[in-house]
Amino acid sequence: MIPLSYFLVFAAALFSIGLYGVLARRNAIAILMGVELMLNAVNINLVAFWRYITPTQIAGQAFAVMVFAVAAAEVAVGLALVISIYRRRNTVVADDIDLLKF
Amino acid sequence: MNVQDLYAISPLIVLVTWATLLILVDVYIIRDRNGGTPILAALGLLVAMGFAIAQTGQQYTAFNGMAVVDGFAIFLQVLFLGSGLVGIALAYNYLQRMGIERSEYYILLLYSISGMMLMAIAADLIVVFLALELLSIPLYVLAGFGRPKVEPEEAALKYFLLGAFAGGFVVYGIALAFGATATTSLAGIVQAVNAGSANLTLLSIGAALILIGLGFKVAAVPFHMWTPDVYQGAPSAVTAFMSVGAKAGGFAALLRVFVSALPELAADLSPVLWVLAALTMILGNVVAIAQGNIKRLLAYSSIAHAGYILMALVVFGNTQVSSDAVAAALFYLVAYAVTSFGAWAVVIALEKAEQKGLALDDYAGLGRKYPGLAAAMAVFMLSFTGVPPTLGFVGKLYLFRTVLEGGFIWLAVIGVLTSLVSAYYYLRIVVIMYMRDGDPQVHAEPWLRLTAGVTAVATVVLSLYAGPLFAWASQAVLKLF
Amino acid sequence: MTALQIIFLITAVITLGAAAMVVITRNLVHAALWLIMTFFGISVLYVLLNAGFLAVAQVVIYIGAISILMIFAIMLTRRVQQDFGPQTNAAWPWALVIAAALFGGLIWIFSGWGNFFTQAPVMGERADPLRQLGMALVSPEQYVIPFEVASVMLTAALIGAIMVAWERK
Repeated sequence: MIPLSYFLVFAAALFSIGLYGVLARRNAIAILMGVELMLNAVNINLVAFWRYITPTQIAGQAFAVMVFAVAAAEVAVGLALVISIYRRRNTVVADDIDLLKF
Repeated sequence: MNVQDLYAISPLIVLVTWATLLILVDVYIIRDRNGGTPILAALGLLVAMGFAIAQTGQQYTAFNGMAVVDGFAIFLQVLFLGSGLVGIALAYNYLQRMGIERSEYYILLLYSISGMMLMAIAADLIVVFLALELLSIPLYVLAGFGRPKVEPEEAALKYFLLGAFAGGFVVYGIALAFGATATTSLAGIVQAVNAGSANLTLLSIGAALILIGLGFKVAAVPFHMWTPDVYQGAPSAVTAFMSVGAKAGGFAALLRVFVSALPELAADLSPVLWVLAALTMILGNVVAIAQGNIKRLLAYSSIAHAGYILMALVVFGNTQVSSDAVAAALFYLVAYAVTSFGAWAVVIALEKAEQKGLALDDYAGLGRKYPGLAAAMAVFMLSFTGVPPTLGFVGKLYLFRTVLEGGFIWLAVIGVLTSLVSAYYYLRIVVIMYMRDGDPQVHAEPWLRLTAGVTAVATVVLSLYAGPLFAWASQAVLKLF
Repeated sequence: MTALQIIFLITAVITLGAAAMVVITRNLVHAALWLIMTFFGISVLYVLLNAGFLAVAQVVIYIGAISILMIFAIMLTRRVQQDFGPQTNAAWPWALVIAAALFGGLIWIFSGWGNFFTQAPVMGERADPLRQLGMALVSPEQYVIPFEVASVMLTAALIGAIMVAWERK
């Protein structure tokens, strides 16, 4: 059987990859993809904790469903902003979307 | 479910229903864009406030521990609803003047406030996370409200990306806390910690991630980088609401989670909070000196004030003073809200299209030409600095007192010293207003004048009755669930 | 090593590789396709975790809605995406350091946790997580508040997105 550690290490790696994407990319859509990777990593964690630690309570899965909803809402608003800015400026690769340097 | 459960969230139900109906009313009945939507939105806030105030003195949990009604929740809900009212008053003429009047503004404002109110009553980390997103998502849109200009939308995109990023940290932290304690309920976490079934290291790292995420929301150093650009780019009326509402919402979450669920982690987390508070106060105040744009200056000022409020959080693990600390933080939030709204009202009165009228030099001569407005601005600057007799002074007094009671003398010293530093740039505005000649142009619409006047009077008068007010705030918090 | 472990490891390696490609690749359309691959791998992991509903929801929401929305956005802003300038900012080495430090720190914390190597408890014959989840989401004793708040949040996001993207003539 698969121990919990496999899932936790996987989720931590996925979260770190997403974090790198958010911090390193210049394009707003690419940054958003990084955020999605981070949220997916969290979901893996939540579901794994449900399966391994509290299988009788459904909290982990219910929380994961909420994270799905939040991710969808964020993507809708974020992409609307991206498209709106693109219409006016013809770019979404703004240097001022550099999250580590302001 | 029983009636009491619904009663607990009645202000929230009223506000959400009102906002949702307002969309339909706005589309099918009002139609005309200058119509009554803002008035109706304000009315909704007042009705919800009535429901919130009606719960005063009660204390119970609802929905099986998902939500909690206590003094803290009621106090903050009234604060949020009040800041919504001011947000509408500031926006009403500003949006027309800037040609960006859209009735969706008020609807999104109501949704954002409902998120903040949910944060005030949240007793479960799932609810905390959803409240955070519900308060943030409408704010992302509001920050970009200045179309067809580009700056507001870029500010909105930056705010959105950082907000989504911060949300990722918060939810990862919550997931780890869930793994460590096998529950997401704040009361459950306390039980798990006391029973020894929780893994404290994992819980600490979860709390640290939550702190990072909320640190972005309240603009604490080193997670403050977005603040100046977003505050400058967003329409001023939105910035005013953001600088009060979003910050108070973030602090509501921090106070609730740390004080009521995690006091056992104080040994690990207090030093971290100490450093954050000190850095935030120092950097916010020092960098503000160099600013020549009033919106950027107020952005750094709001960073600095987040540092002062964080001081209250440093003592969260000390159960002797933590309730006093929460009361001091709430009191300071009110002082900051009143002062900040007033200052933004003056900024909005002087702002002209195309981001003009925002340089500090544009305030030259204000004292001679518009003595009332200049006097109000002077009061706000004194209150930000912490000079008596203003709310800002009393707020700082209570904060420093709790920090000293908690035994963090050096932090209080840093707080006092940075306040002295801040006097330089706040008083410089006063000097520019009164000592220099100029020809400021002001659009002092009735709602703006009313806001500036009322907040200025409140800043001074309330400070004279600070004792009873603080007693009332502590009353609210002693009942922190 | 059991068959399940081998399935997990293969899926995990493919998923993490795809995720790495999402953040590395220069072409955004490719990044979106790698993202779909990542999401698919994660849904396989949900199956391994006995969370069938989430596996389906992952495919429907993340692949069917979110990824497609991203591809639309990329297509609508295509001129920019052909930008051949650097796709990473100047601070990317720091980003790498921060990400690696976070990963190392998390693993170090996890490794000291008693439950780290725990095995999954056996699901009872009568256990029905899907039914349990459905009941929990609408039960006032459990998650009805988050559920309803999520719907309010989606409404607000919908209004906001329409407002932002709708070009008023």
